[in-house]
Amino acid sequence: MKIITCCKVVPNEEGITVMQNRELSTEKAPLAISQYDLNAMESGKKLAAETGGTMVALSVGSSSSLENTKIRKDILSRGADELKLVIDDAHGFSDSLQTAKALAGALKNMEYDLVLCGAGSSDLYSQEVGIQTGTILDLPVVNNVTGITAVSDSTLHVERTLEEEVELLEVSLPAVLSVSSEINVPTVPSMRDIMKAGKKPVSVMDMKEEAAPSTRIIEQLAPKQQERRQQVVEGDGEEAVDALVSFLRKEGF
Amino acid sequence: MSIQSVFIVSDNYAVLPEFCSGAKSLADSVTAIVFGGEEEARQAAGCGADKVIYCPVGEDVLPEDYAHAIAEHVKSASQAVVWVYNSIRGKALAGKISVYLDTAVLSAVNEFSLEEDTLVCRRMVYGGLAMRKETFAKSYGVVTISNGIFEVPFVEGAEAEICALEGAPISLVKRISHKEKKEGGVNLVAAKRIVDVGRGLAAEEDLEMCKALAKVLDGEVGCSRPVAENNKWLPKSNYLGITGVTVKPELLVAVGLSGQVQHIGGINKSKVIVAINKDKAAPIFKNADFGLVGDMYKIIPALIEKLS
Repeated sequence: MKIITCCKVVPNEEGITVMQNRELSTEKAPLAISQYDLNAMESGKKLAAETGGTMVALSVGSSSSLENTKIRKDILSRGADELKLVIDDAHGFSDSLQTAKALAGALKNMEYDLVLCGAGSSDLYSQEVGIQTGTILDLPVVNNVTGITAVSDSTLHVERTLEEEVELLEVSLPAVLSVSSEINVPTVPSMRDIMKAGKKPVSVMDMKEEAAPSTRIIEQLAPKQQERRQQVVEGDGEEAVDALVSFLRKEGF
Repeated sequence: MSIQSVFIVSDNYAVLPEFCSGAKSLADSVTAIVFGGEEEARQAAGCGADKVIYCPVGEDVLPEDYAHAIAEHVKSASQAVVWVYNSIRGKALAGKISVYLDTAVLSAVNEFSLEEDTLVCRRMVYGGLAMRKETFAKSYGVVTISNGIFEVPFVEGAEAEICALEGAPISLVKRISHKEKKEGGVNLVAAKRIVDVGRGLAAEEDLEMCKALAKVLDGEVGCSRPVAENNKWLPKSNYLGITGVTVKPELLVAVGLSGQVQHIGGINKSKVIVAINKDKAAPIFKNADFGLVGDMYKIIPALIEKLS
């Protein structure tokens, strides 16, 4: 089975700082693979191994994120045989449809049976790009996938977990699936995986998909801290617990 | 000041009164699109929408299959925003509808306002580090919203006009079977009191102690993401945070919880927050009304005893 796994390169949220004016600064934040995409890569790796297939990683984004060799190597150390990139500084990819159009544009020029996406990106977390990409390509799409079994070369059985029920779906290929973070626990790449990653091919696709933004950002600011009383008592003895109980009583609980 | 049309799309009838009342305050025309038969739609006629449109579903026909027909119906308005209930099915519907309307989805919007007849949406990004304020730059927009962001009206609305959706469903995926989930889901959004468990909990069996505390407080147990996803001690539907459930109980007792931004984003609408943590420097204390710096294993049993 030919699998393509989509992944997004994002600023590591632990490195993002809030500035005095409440704007965010990603300047000092190292690049990272969006954490939910690691589940998609893990699923792709397993499925490729089970079916004797291949996995190609696909990422779209700006040159500042995708021209970094360290992150390219990181992506390739997680089971992909090859990395394909769409580098585009013209679009900000700040809305879900722009990203989906860029991915769909790239996929039109690639061969695949299955496209895998994560649940959502760890920066914007729209949880829509996989569904949108598949819909643009007129393919079957399923989100929150918690199990994938290949029953033939052209058919998958897909388990999808909803709020109150679990569905078993038959999906004919090609298709686009967004996996839930519950589907697996991503493995940490071994030293050997990392060594091998440096030798795997990386190619930049020459394409530009036109996609006008559908949204306009008015502002993006850190939320004002909620006013809290911050009464703190140190200790875990009877006195401390009594202080908590009297606080709760006073509040009417 | 108002926008022309809001179309509410929900696979859950229970959220309609709240969503319709929110939409009515912003738009001239409110249509609710629901999934099921005519009889169920009639029961929802007082939800507050001007019109209720139903899409018949069954074993072979899923709500998602109507995405194209819904988008075609939305196009009968020259400008509209589609509000989709933020369930898993809702997310799939929203993504598909957005493509057919050639617009983006703004996910988990938690506040709306009108500025010069334009709908302004606010939502958390970067795991709760920032609130992004944005509008649609096109005639159509799609948002997903959870319940609990508008006031629920006390009175029923006028009888809405009921009709079936025109246009056939398109099925690209076949459902073989479905079964109810084994784990019992809790409704944390509706809970008045929550005990919120973090990584300070040493072992799964210690959850019993937290459950006992929740019981004396007449509340439910929620947790942080690692407790649900890494340890799998509680179902995923119990984790609070920007990428989990957003709650606003009267009282939230955070135990052994550090208080990462992502998590705080899901609990900071709570009326009163109490924190118990042995680490004095834990950020949770900055977000708490009352904090105890100490061993939760000593404090919780004593607290249960005193409260019972």
